[in-house]
Amino acid sequence: MSASIDPPPQGSPALRLHRQLAAIWATGPGLQRLAAVNHSVVGLRFITTAFVFFAIGGVLGMLTRVQLATPDAGFMDPETYNQVFTMHGSMMLFLFAIPMVEGMAVYLTPKILGARDFAFPRLTAYGYWCYLFGGMILTGALIAGVAPNSGWFMYTPLSSNVYTPGINADVWLLGVTFVEISALTLAVEIVVSILKMRAPGMSLDRMPIFGWYILITALMMVVAFPPLILGSILLETERAFHLPFFDPTRGGDPLLWQHLFWLFGHPDVYIIFLPMAGVLSTIIPVFANRPLVGYRAIVVAIIALAFLSFGIWVHHMFTVGIPHLALAFFSAGSAIVAVPTAVQIFAWLATLAHGRPRWDVPMLYVFGFFFVFALGGLTGVMVAMVPFDWQAHDSYFVVAHLHYVVAGAFAFPMLAALYYWLPLLTGRMAVHRLSVPAFWLVFVGFNLTFFMMHLTGLLGMPRRIYTYFGHEGWIWLNLLSSVGGFIMTIGFGIVVIDLLAQLRYGRRVRRDPWRAATLEWAMPIPPAPYAFASIPHIGTRADRIALGELAPSLARGEGYLGFARNGWQETLGVHMTSGTPEQLIVLSRPTYLPLYTALATAAAVLAMLFQFYLLALAAALVTAGLFVLAGQGAGLARDYGPMPVGHGVSLPPHTEVAGAPPWWALIFALVADGTLFTSLVFGTLYLWISAPNWPPAAAPEPDLMLALVAVAALAVAASAARGSLRSLAAGGSARGWIALAILALVAAVAADAELIGGVAPHPREHALGATTAALLAYVALHAGIGLLFLVSNLLRLGAGFVSPRRLLDLRLTRLWLDYTVVVGAISLGLVLALPSLVAMLAARP
Amino acid sequence: MSARPVPTNRLWWLGAGFGVWCSALVVLYALHAIGCAFAWSAGPLRLGLGLVLLGHLGVIGWMWRDVATASPDSGFGQTGTFLHTVVVWTLIAAFSATVLTLGPSLLLTICM
Repeated sequence: MSASIDPPPQGSPALRLHRQLAAIWATGPGLQRLAAVNHSVVGLRFITTAFVFFAIGGVLGMLTRVQLATPDAGFMDPETYNQVFTMHGSMMLFLFAIPMVEGMAVYLTPKILGARDFAFPRLTAYGYWCYLFGGMILTGALIAGVAPNSGWFMYTPLSSNVYTPGINADVWLLGVTFVEISALTLAVEIVVSILKMRAPGMSLDRMPIFGWYILITALMMVVAFPPLILGSILLETERAFHLPFFDPTRGGDPLLWQHLFWLFGHPDVYIIFLPMAGVLSTIIPVFANRPLVGYRAIVVAIIALAFLSFGIWVHHMFTVGIPHLALAFFSAGSAIVAVPTAVQIFAWLATLAHGRPRWDVPMLYVFGFFFVFALGGLTGVMVAMVPFDWQAHDSYFVVAHLHYVVAGAFAFPMLAALYYWLPLLTGRMAVHRLSVPAFWLVFVGFNLTFFMMHLTGLLGMPRRIYTYFGHEGWIWLNLLSSVGGFIMTIGFGIVVIDLLAQLRYGRRVRRDPWRAATLEWAMPIPPAPYAFASIPHIGTRADRIALGELAPSLARGEGYLGFARNGWQETLGVHMTSGTPEQLIVLSRPTYLPLYTALATAAAVLAMLFQFYLLALAAALVTAGLFVLAGQGAGLARDYGPMPVGHGVSLPPHTEVAGAPPWWALIFALVADGTLFTSLVFGTLYLWISAPNWPPAAAPEPDLMLALVAVAALAVAASAARGSLRSLAAGGSARGWIALAILALVAAVAADAELIGGVAPHPREHALGATTAALLAYVALHAGIGLLFLVSNLLRLGAGFVSPRRLLDLRLTRLWLDYTVVVGAISLGLVLALPSLVAMLAARP
Repeated sequence: MSARPVPTNRLWWLGAGFGVWCSALVVLYALHAIGCAFAWSAGPLRLGLGLVLLGHLGVIGWMWRDVATASPDSGFGQTGTFLHTVVVWTLIAAFSATVLTLGPSLLLTICM
């Protein structure tokens, strides 16, 4: 390859630079749009798709209100009602709220942090397609009348194939897991991008507070989603293959599902809330005309909130029979979580109090948030108290509380964000004659709908009932709730009309209409696909930037990378803490590969759904193959050394440095993987200690020799991966070492498969056998993925993508195999320890 | 920028205090469940729980003393000062959270 490493002369006119960069970064027309990987395009798709699902979920919510408006209503039969309320909750949480957060993060974060795109554009696109296809599976099931019908948290045993024999629950388990793949991939990408791809000079203390919120939220997603993914896999294997993880008659325990679900479910509330708090922390200072009060205190509060939210999942399970002492841990934690939340609220109030606030549409929604969230927070403290929760549990009081906290605290800031950032997308302002009445209709309708539910709940109305008799005293309250629901819907309808009117009739604005001071306003409106014609250097807090001088300077190419080179999509990688530029990141171009890979994944999911298991396996292998294929063209095919990036700075490409984004991505992916593994170990020990019908009739007798062979083979593979790295770094050949690692992994998989075949009791007979098989399968799967890493290494060595200076591939393989040997040793150690643990159970009083 | 970059591995300190809080919660919850499942006597079980709590408080306290008594390295500039402040306050918050969420609960009836 003879590509030049020198940029053309500096000081190109802004228009010429724009044309050059647009040619490199633009997504093609027509069908080529399906190949889009750009964060602006994919982010907008996320947001738009999330709004579509919001509309569908909203209609479903309205249907429930029609049914409950009067007693003995015959509008829906019980089965339809079950599907409608289950899909309402599932859509709002999994297809609207979380993807909306992701969409906003994808669209806004690179712009606010001064980067041209995210670290892994193809992964962004793959995440979007997974989300879309997963959502389509769920929506299709609703149209076909086979939608999930066991409630949005799918409690077992109701969702087991004994009580839900059709495919309804499978649709949820497979469809939602499919969507979660999207969430997890994006979470890893967001974390790495925020840590590594900020504008030069943007040290952590200069990062806009929005960046901190999104960073912590994405880290929470990395850890929160795996328990639910594991739970969904276990429940689906129970339904499909009769492995009794949750069946108490065969040593399983339905409460294990509740633990796994709420280990995700409770942090999820904060995963939804924190980005919206980030929106508020961004918008309020702009409209208060003063910097945010308490930046450091807010960072501490976000960190505290992130951790505390994981430690209170049991407050959803206060009535299941857990001893009081243990309940008290979670009750106290649930109350104390109000403290870091209050720190943020008071910081916002102080910002407003010390500023000179001006009112505009976004601030109306900020007011709506304060009102709604204060009420939701107060009822949150009430249900955190065990005695009160015992009274209110599973009543409409909880429905009211969760809507105030999740819906209100999400919807109002989201609409504030929409009105605040829409001028960035459209170049026009909202039409006030519509915006203001729309707000009041949403606000009044929301409170009328959900405040009444507190009262119906306190009067004893249970959740999920499809009708009532009429003598309970709930008639007027339910009718008012339904009327409120319709008022709120009219309000949202006007919001949609307002948005459409804005596109045509809104007043045109120039750059930065709100007089903000963050970087997303330092670019043309609407933003170009490359975001910044050149990347700024940040010398102050990045939410206090004088955009009037900076924006034209960036457009003239006076920042970093103010030129086009080799047709590369270039951006900068920085040191995590200081923001010192340290690598030139070359991003991938538009490709159909994410779409094809997501289609193959969807085929695997659908084949599983319709019980074509061999087809599902084949589609899963195709998906894995496409991932390997995607890796083949990644990076650069020769050594370049440091290249000029502007301002007299020269940097090596990301392929030639140790801390490249893929390295960090694998670390955070392994954090997620490790959380899933920890959840599996927790599940095994939980069943051992808590499930009925233990110990099983047949004692486990794992083959010690086979287990040792498996661990030894994994260790040999990990050592061989190190050998390959050393050898290549010293200028030798890595192929021999890689071949040895492949042989060792094949031996490990074979020994592991032999162990699975000999599991006692049989995995279908008792949960002990099922969890043992799951632990062994986890190891085999990781060894199998290790084989894919090694095959990819061989292919890329042959294609010239790996050299003594470009060792990233081999380092990634080493990291994966190191992880595999550690979890393999723990898994097999636990399997070997199970006979002793079971014997302890037999001996207990 | 004349200041040295704060090493990346220092970022783990941002979660260190609450990491210990998580550990305390998990160990206490697990030990309590095992003790009740195997019908351990209330006294030794409560003592064990108390020792676990004190151990974790000791770890957070030790970390706090280690970090708070050392002034931020001026060579790391404003970023170092910022991270130092945030770490100190997360440790204080984690210590308070550990005391408030896990301490009083240990006085309740042990396995009812």
